Amino acid sequence: MAARYETALIRLIIIALLFGAWEFAPRADLVNARLLPPASEVFTVFFGLIQDPGFHGHLATTLQQTLTAFLIAVPVGALLGILIAENRFAGEVFKPLVFFVFSIPKSIFLPMFILAFGISFWQKVAFGVFSTIFIVMMTAFAAVASVRSDHIRVARSYGANLRQIIARVYLPSMTPVLLEAVRLAMIFNFTGILLAEMYASRAGVGNLIGTWGRGFQIPQIMAGIVTVAGLSILFNELVRWFERRCEHWRGDR
Amino acid sequence: MNKDVSGTIQVEGVSHTFVSNGEKTHALDNVSFEVPKNRFVSIVGPSGCGKSSLLMMLAGLQTPDEGRIICEGKKITRPDPQRIGVVFQEASLFPWLTAEKNVEFPLSLRGVKPAVRHDRAREALALVGLEGFGSRYPHELSGGMKQRVSIARGLVQDPPILMMDEPFAALDEQTRTVMGDELLRIWEQTRKTILFVTHSLGEAVYLADQVLVMSARPGRIIDRIDVDLPRPRRFEMMSTQPFMELRERIWRQIRH
Ligand SMILES: Nc1ncnc2c1ncn2[C@@H]1O[C@H](COP(=O)(O)OP(=O)(O)O)[C@@H](O)[C@H]1O
Ligand SMILES: [Mg+2]
Repeated sequence: MAARYETALIRLIIIALLFGAWEFAPRADLVNARLLPPASEVFTVFFGLIQDPGFHGHLATTLQQTLTAFLIAVPVGALLGILIAENRFAGEVFKPLVFFVFSIPKSIFLPMFILAFGISFWQKVAFGVFSTIFIVMMTAFAAVASVRSDHIRVARSYGANLRQIIARVYLPSMTPVLLEAVRLAMIFNFTGILLAEMYASRAGVGNLIGTWGRGFQIPQIMAGIVTVAGLSILFNELVRWFERRCEHWRGDR
Repeated sequence: MNKDVSGTIQVEGVSHTFVSNGEKTHALDNVSFEVPKNRFVSIVGPSGCGKSSLLMMLAGLQTPDEGRIICEGKKITRPDPQRIGVVFQEASLFPWLTAEKNVEFPLSLRGVKPAVRHDRAREALALVGLEGFGSRYPHELSGGMKQRVSIARGLVQDPPILMMDEPFAALDEQTRTVMGDELLRIWEQTRKTILFVTHSLGEAVYLADQVLVMSARPGRIIDRIDVDLPRPRRFEMMSTQPFMELRERIWRQIRH
């Protein structure tokens, strides 16, 4: 217990030092203050932003797109991945293809999404889904592989039907890996949406950051980054909290 | 007509060939035997001779190409957990369930009420000597304790027959010896019919009333040995003349 508080304390000190350095270095002219404004200046802008209704609109746009893409990519990707991994023939055909497509940087497809969907809500969502679905499928392959055949055999020998095998063996076996998929999906998805917004859009946090960038408004950009970082960390920690709840048995594989 | 068939198994002319990826494996060849009620029968044989396959068929998880298996006068066509409880080599407990919930599993599949399930699981855990361990998760239990939970799960529906596929193979020697004695105690207390697959000749003889010896693949029954050592069995018996003779008789037949 003491060790845990200690590491938490050390972590806090490191974070404090980083922010201290961020505040101090530009003020002491160690770095160019135009490129790296002091922390206090960035946070002043940040607190201004989060009270600004205009910014709320942009944030809402981004979050709506992210959430929509997430709600499509995760269930569809997980289901496709599970079906592919469960069927030997489909596995042999599609698994390598998924790996191939996963290895291609998704950003080079952005122009095609604009051609297909125009600069629109659904262009962002489609690109978000496209950025995300392959990692979800790959994680789902791993989730299926984590289901132990001896567990299935036990369930069958005690008379479980297919529905019971799915609900009582497959789902709990796959839960830890699928939670990992959810976590990775959000990261890939958020990245995809912001990228699509920065590339071509009329609204959204990515759009704002792009505009600020062209206007050389570094404190604004950094305040935007703080917002995005805060949201990502919040979501990540939420999933990790769920993950920790199954951690006590996860080690026993 | 009114012949008592409870707790009996008849295996009649069972042959089976596995085909996977176009490759044929002739696993079992005309296997026949009978197990009367309350008997403890061990099955030994070289690895790969089809022992597990035979148990799969008894558990109703695999249909033999030829022959039939009759359990309590009824042909086995699918798993019948209220007649046959099964215990596998790996305890195969679900790591996300506590010991007690693992034991309750067969009951919960049948929709037995939680209160009843709970009581039965506690009784079964007490029977295998794990009173008070119900709330532990599998990773908090030793190898021997896990196998005890697995046995409790096999016994929780009080089936007349218990089938065990090398249940102690993964345990260390000491634990294994203790578990053998524990199994005999449970058997004496519950009077189940037990079919026990093992690759340890000593274990086979020590535990059983009868040992069935199988040949290398395709598996056939090449000997049936009645073990007339007195009960209760004691560790010291393993170094007596009659015990060693029985062990040798098996060894001579399966070594080549
Ligand atoms: N589902 C299966 N498909 C193909 N071959 C199998 C299958 N199950 C078992 N076998 C083969 O049948 C033979 C007997 O296996 P098994 O019953 O597990 O032997 P034992 O338990 O006596 O070691 C082995 O050669 C094994 O490879
Ligand atoms: Mg085997």
